[in-house]
Amino acid sequence: MQQEVVLALLAKEPSQGYQLRARLDEALGPLGEGLNAGHIYVTLGRLEKTGMVALEEPPQGRTQRADRKIYHLTPAGQERVFQWLSEVSWSRPHLAEFHLKLVAAAQAGLADPVSIVDAQRREMLRRLRDAQRAAMEEPDHSDAALLLEGVVLRLQADLRWLEACERNWIGRRERS
Amino acid sequence: MKGQVVLVSRLAARDLRRRPVESLMVLLVIAAAATTLTVAFALSGVTNQPYQQTRLATAGPDVIAVEGGGGGRGPAQPVSSAQLAATVVSLTTAPGVTAHSGPYPTSLSVIRFRGHTVDVVAEGRDRAPASVDQPKVTQGGWIRPGAVVIERGFADALGVHVGDNVRLGGRSFRVAGIAVTAAVPPYPSSLCHIVCSFPVPKGSFGVPNMGLVWLTRSAVAGFAGSGSNIGYLLNLKLANPAQAPAFAAQHPGTFTWQSIQSAINALIGIEQVALGFGGWLIGLLALAGLGVLVGRRMTEQARRIGLLKAVGATPMTVAGVLLFEHIALALAAATVGLVAGSSIAPLLTGTGAGLVGAPGAPSISVSTVIIIAVIALAVATVSSLVPAIRAARTSTVSALADAPRVPRRRPMLTAVSARLPVPLLLALRQLSRRPRRALLNAISIAVTVTGIVAILANYAHISSANLTISNLKVDRLNELTAIITVMLIILAAVNTTFIAWATAADGRFSSALERALGATAGQVTAGLSMAALLPALPGAIIGIPLGIEVYHLLGSGTPLTVPPAWQLAGVFLSTLLAVTVLTAIPSRLSARRPPARILQTE
Amino acid sequence: MISMRPVLRASGLCKTFGSEAALVRAVDGVDLDVATGETVAIMGPSGCGKSTLLHLLGGLERPSAGEIELAGKTVTDSSERALAHLRRSAVGFVFQGFYLMDELTAIENVELPGLLAGRSPRAARARARELLEQVGLADRTGFLPSALSGGQRQRVAIARALINRPIIVLADEPTGNLDSTATVEVLRLFEALHESGQTLVIVTHEQRVAATADRLISMRDGVFVDEMRMTGGSRGDLGQLIGLGGE
Repeated sequence: MQQEVVLALLAKEPSQGYQLRARLDEALGPLGEGLNAGHIYVTLGRLEKTGMVALEEPPQGRTQRADRKIYHLTPAGQERVFQWLSEVSWSRPHLAEFHLKLVAAAQAGLADPVSIVDAQRREMLRRLRDAQRAAMEEPDHSDAALLLEGVVLRLQADLRWLEACERNWIGRRERS
Repeated sequence: MKGQVVLVSRLAARDLRRRPVESLMVLLVIAAAATTLTVAFALSGVTNQPYQQTRLATAGPDVIAVEGGGGGRGPAQPVSSAQLAATVVSLTTAPGVTAHSGPYPTSLSVIRFRGHTVDVVAEGRDRAPASVDQPKVTQGGWIRPGAVVIERGFADALGVHVGDNVRLGGRSFRVAGIAVTAAVPPYPSSLCHIVCSFPVPKGSFGVPNMGLVWLTRSAVAGFAGSGSNIGYLLNLKLANPAQAPAFAAQHPGTFTWQSIQSAINALIGIEQVALGFGGWLIGLLALAGLGVLVGRRMTEQARRIGLLKAVGATPMTVAGVLLFEHIALALAAATVGLVAGSSIAPLLTGTGAGLVGAPGAPSISVSTVIIIAVIALAVATVSSLVPAIRAARTSTVSALADAPRVPRRRPMLTAVSARLPVPLLLALRQLSRRPRRALLNAISIAVTVTGIVAILANYAHISSANLTISNLKVDRLNELTAIITVMLIILAAVNTTFIAWATAADGRFSSALERALGATAGQVTAGLSMAALLPALPGAIIGIPLGIEVYHLLGSGTPLTVPPAWQLAGVFLSTLLAVTVLTAIPSRLSARRPPARILQTE
Repeated sequence: MISMRPVLRASGLCKTFGSEAALVRAVDGVDLDVATGETVAIMGPSGCGKSTLLHLLGGLERPSAGEIELAGKTVTDSSERALAHLRRSAVGFVFQGFYLMDELTAIENVELPGLLAGRSPRAARARARELLEQVGLADRTGFLPSALSGGQRQRVAIARALINRPIIVLADEPTGNLDSTATVEVLRLFEALHESGQTLVIVTHEQRVAATADRLISMRDGVFVDEMRMTGGSRGDLGQLIGLGGE
């Protein structure tokens, strides 16, 4: 699980591990079933080590059980979240990540999901333009042309989904 | 089954409502055709069998014997009573004679009424009905002292009614009644048509202008001046009426009922010819209009059928929907046509007024109704079943795609039209897409112009031969031809408007595209008008010599009459003007809609 | 290639359809400036009014309100005649459904607006041939539309739109009826036009068509909601696009 996703989920409020897990499940629906149950705690541990996340002070003297620990964002963590929200990279397993980005942003009130989608769309359109240009410059039927055509078509598909995201989030905004 | 019927009727009704102008046009064209055809049939029917009806109703004679100057035969020769008696006996006892009436005295006289002065034959009769040839009174009553009964055709021409006073041979008589007879051909023919030999001024078409009236015997005797113009008529009935000609051949001074019939026919021959000719023209016009209508409906239905098939309608249902719609329209139109026609026809039956068949009664025979209904149903059936059958054979998919029949490519026309100004370019291209329709348009105009020119030739002939004496008869003929002309013009106008509207409607898409490509609305309108005008030109040009020639052929004996040039030019120009005006409105309306709506992609 | 003076300027454009009870505001206050030589793409879901907007710009429909200026001249109050003149000299239209005359060959289709504009047949024919060469159909001038593929038909339609040297070419979903190969053909053509300085306004719902524009405008419910300049490359390099290197 991308570390940034967990960070962003924490941005709403300090939470326990299982609460985060529950929100993840809700956001991912059936697609989240494959997630390892303990994976979120591993990620939280890592984030604690890098200083993005901190544990709340336990009441005097008592050690807490692992699953009762309450985590919260450190200032470094907050900064990373903001950074991540405005990033427009689009790496391989991108759908779920982007989706969660939007969900987390909305739940935490950190940013308007619609503008996140918008920014990503612009970037994708630029990439589409570049890929298409490159494809047209290639001679017909060359291997590179074929590959670039594939890129163009996938970008198109992604853009369609982004449009759907935009429609969806605008709709939610109007309803609330 | 009931569900099917409801569905079919609902689909048909919806479709009719969705395109009201279209449905109205269809109704109009069929109704116009039906009206004019009904009138044409009614008119021709009037001159067919009425003589037989009259013979039946009046116990008409098979042979009539004329003695003395009664029919005007020979110079004034008094007929002695002995001579008369001998003739009567020999005739009434001849083999084959079963009954007789008369002899009745006849005298030539002159009738004066409201400025008309016409020769008449006055026949003296008894008040009691005769066994042979008792004229049937259609209005008023039979003769009485001081009163006269007038033959119906003559009364019609004079404009005389029961109760009027007329002057006959210097004396005043009251008109007691109006009657028909089968013993003498009705006005404008007369006894003289058959047996005249003394010079009576000839009226038009070689027929002396004489009427027939009945009076009491004593009144007729009173007309006998300076001796000799009392003649006698004797009516005979034979055992075998078909033998009348043989009988008449053996007995000089007699004529037969067959000769009366042919006299009638010869006389109204002209009128019959005119009617027949007019009827044919009207029939052709009706066919032209219906042809365009049917052709158009056939091509439109393809997509609708595809839709129906796609939702699972069986071929039966499809055919049912189409038939229902078309039959409803066609029958409604036919009914309108029959009703309108039967209201108009009585106005025209004055032609055969001398024969039995009261003017007010509709002269629509059962066969007319059947024929009109059959034509209407034929139109409906072809319009609906042909496309249904065609579509049943093609796949649903291609019917849905509604690939319009690609018009045949005409490279020559395309190249030529490129050199012409824009409206002509558009018009020529429009015509090349639908050549059959252009042809039907041209035929329609040609037929109309032929009719009008023939009628003008008729007028020219009448006035040139200086036939002013029997102007009552001429008036009647003029009236008849005027009515035919009006019907022709109305039907032609309906046709032209319909074709123009259909062309504009069918060309809606290409017109919108042409406008999107830069043609102005004015150019498109002009193009559509020209597309109607261009075929009308050759039609009008052909119609002129055709009309003259047809009149020449039909007139049997009339010399080749060419109407004056100014009249021909007038017909030509006004036809073209009428076509332009009639087509301008649908073209203009069609060209005004913004092209975007028609070219909608979303 | 892109100069400063707008060749097309529309302000406050509105188009409403229907009566009071069921009023449809297809275009609800649109301002648009198009510079010479620019390619503008207008995107939006179906029913957003983009086609209607294009019809307004091309003089195929009259706006309910607003003004349109073409090459400095106001055209909204023009007579129907003047609008037709506009259509034949200032504006070239390309439709989604090609709308070629089925009974005319390719070259006869292309020369038609030229003839309508009053050119001599010879001049129109010559220019038509030239254009068909430009769009790569020199060997199919005598073909009927039924003998041409979708992409070829649209190329003929584009040549037709160019015959009177229009100031601006308006294309309504030009690739809507085309598969991806034909789409590429048409996009290549648009690219070539763009390079030669032709001003283009394209309405489309396809991303890849929109990506070729200099400016991309998003439309929804009759109004413009977003505008994006497509100049400048993307932040990632091409290698990144296909998953080589980077993340």
